[in-house]
Amino acid sequence: MTVKDVAMKRRWGMAIDLDKCTGCGQCAIACSQENNMPIFEDDSDVPKRVAFLELMKVTNDRDAKFPDVRAAFIPKMCQMCEGNDPKNPDPPCVSVCPVVATDVGDDGVVSQIWSRCIGCRYCQAACPYEARVFNWWKPKYEGNFKNSLNSDVSVASRGTIVKCTFCSHRWKQARDESVANGNLDINAPVYKTACQEACPVGAIVFGDLDDPKSEVAKLVASDKALRLTNSIDDLPEDKRKAFLKIKQFPNPKVYYLTSQKWLRDMMRFEKNS
Amino acid sequence: MIEFIKNFYNDTSKNMKIALAILLTLVVIFGIFAIQILGWGLGYTDMDNNFAWGAWIIGDLGLVALGGGAFTTGYFLYIFRVDRLKPIINSTVLIGFLCYLFTFVFLLFDLGQPIRAWFGFAYPNWGKGVYPASMLTEVFFCLSLYFCILLVELVPTILEHKVLIKNKVIKAIAHYMHLLMWTMAAGGTFLSFFHQGSLGGGMWGVLYGKAVWYSPYFFYLAVVAAMAGGTSFMVMVPYIAGKLMKKEYVPMETFQTLTRISGTIFIGYFIFRLFDLYKAITYYAPMSGREFFDMWGGYYGVWMLVLELILCVVAIVLLNPGKFRNQEKFMVIGASSGIIAIVTSKLSVLLHGFSAPNFPWKGFTSYMPTIAEWGITFGAFATMILIYMIFVKWFPLFPHLEKDEHN
Repeated sequence: MTVKDVAMKRRWGMAIDLDKCTGCGQCAIACSQENNMPIFEDDSDVPKRVAFLELMKVTNDRDAKFPDVRAAFIPKMCQMCEGNDPKNPDPPCVSVCPVVATDVGDDGVVSQIWSRCIGCRYCQAACPYEARVFNWWKPKYEGNFKNSLNSDVSVASRGTIVKCTFCSHRWKQARDESVANGNLDINAPVYKTACQEACPVGAIVFGDLDDPKSEVAKLVASDKALRLTNSIDDLPEDKRKAFLKIKQFPNPKVYYLTSQKWLRDMMRFEKNS
Repeated sequence: MIEFIKNFYNDTSKNMKIALAILLTLVVIFGIFAIQILGWGLGYTDMDNNFAWGAWIIGDLGLVALGGGAFTTGYFLYIFRVDRLKPIINSTVLIGFLCYLFTFVFLLFDLGQPIRAWFGFAYPNWGKGVYPASMLTEVFFCLSLYFCILLVELVPTILEHKVLIKNKVIKAIAHYMHLLMWTMAAGGTFLSFFHQGSLGGGMWGVLYGKAVWYSPYFFYLAVVAAMAGGTSFMVMVPYIAGKLMKKEYVPMETFQTLTRISGTIFIGYFIFRLFDLYKAITYYAPMSGREFFDMWGGYYGVWMLVLELILCVVAIVLLNPGKFRNQEKFMVIGASSGIIAIVTSKLSVLLHGFSAPNFPWKGFTSYMPTIAEWGITFGAFATMILIYMIFVKWFPLFPHLEKDEHN
């Protein structure tokens, strides 16, 4: 078999079980370490912090008292939007880039080349999930953190946009390994993202959404699954199809699983207005 | 040189000395903060990962929209032959040129990596057709081309300087450039038309993921806005310059003609804007699962929208009926409110777009420019005013005056 014969069949996606998530933050730490996130002396300036994975805490009602208080943690990374047509993905952030620093691969991963980015932040304005972060300061690595940098991920310079890539460097490693073992099928290797690997309760499941046998495909097909603020999912099928003809919708590939009604409502604007 | 500065200083009136001192101070502040931002990065601004753009983009939008008056005026003069606009055209071209020059300056400051700005030309994001996929690619190319056109349009003004014009060759060049200027005006109209839409409206309209911005009409709305507000702006700048320097640079009837054009376009803009709002409220916002008025909260509420519409109405009422327009004070109030209406609309696009929460559990955010941002913004405006003043003093910006002097 030659490489030419092989068409990409993967469509990477993620399912995160919010009912399992304890909010321990291991995923965020693992992500930052894997992707060479800078560490500043004072990282309390949250809006300017550089982190791909944000652990967002939501509560049902700020004034609620025990036992009515409900809280949950939503790990939020790039939601890997694909637009209306999965075969011809069009994430909101990709078409706007003036220098083609960001692109969406045939595996559905929205990638970004740090060294091509001119730092105009148009993609950041376009992203409905606040998933893209900008290096407002020159990245710094305190103490001996420099020694533990990941050589597979480039360190960004000041003034560039960086984002979660579903740890695509790990997939490249897996493919290299597969080729070294004599298997040229690009669809053969699978991999795990850093956040998935780090989760102590197995709340994060990553895999191929197009492979009906994969765990993630089964999870996103369940009733528990929903996508963040993507309200078009709640519409009846005919209305949904009519809307899709009028304009693009983000339609992310990251799904959240929960059976708690308040949390499901929390992820929709119309139920909170 | 020292002698020249001495003479200049002695010849200047007291008010002018104060104005020059303020402007020069602002220019120095501009220089200091420019070094800080370019050398140490955008961390010193109040922009953040949520509020990705700030004061400079407002400056860009405002300058391009108001500088758009240059193409409208040029179009009416050179293509429609509205000769009464002739006294104002050199000033208009200069203002247009300055607006575009400083749009570049602001854009450069806004880039995280200004050294890589040329990537915009080297790796443009063209779509499948002839139209670019990214509105910013379009801005890169259209803005540069139109800037070049304004530069060409400005050259005769410089060539007609009383020292240079004595040279026969230069005189001939200036003369023929004037004759051929309609080609530039036509090209400029075409280019400016496109990027008015892209920088002012299309840039936001295509962001389909953000319900607060998405609108298929935004592009066209921005073109109309630039034509309406820009023509008023082209009236107000020479008017204020004339008042300050206590000279009537431009005859009143030229102002009347231009404000009449502006007033008529404002009617179109107002109707279009109402239609756009109606569609956003009833159709596009609910489509994305949002209530339109839920997105208008925080510090920048519905009041900005109301203010914009009221100012539009004022401009329409004062600029259209002859009985108001022919009175100087009403004309000035009308043109000013027109300009402020357009600036307010650009402000509210930016402020609301970024402050509206992206998640249902988040609140509205706010933005307050830091001293570095203020310094660069006002410093840039001061530099513009200084350049305009230099032209007023030493170049034939208002050619009909020179003719009168010769007579």
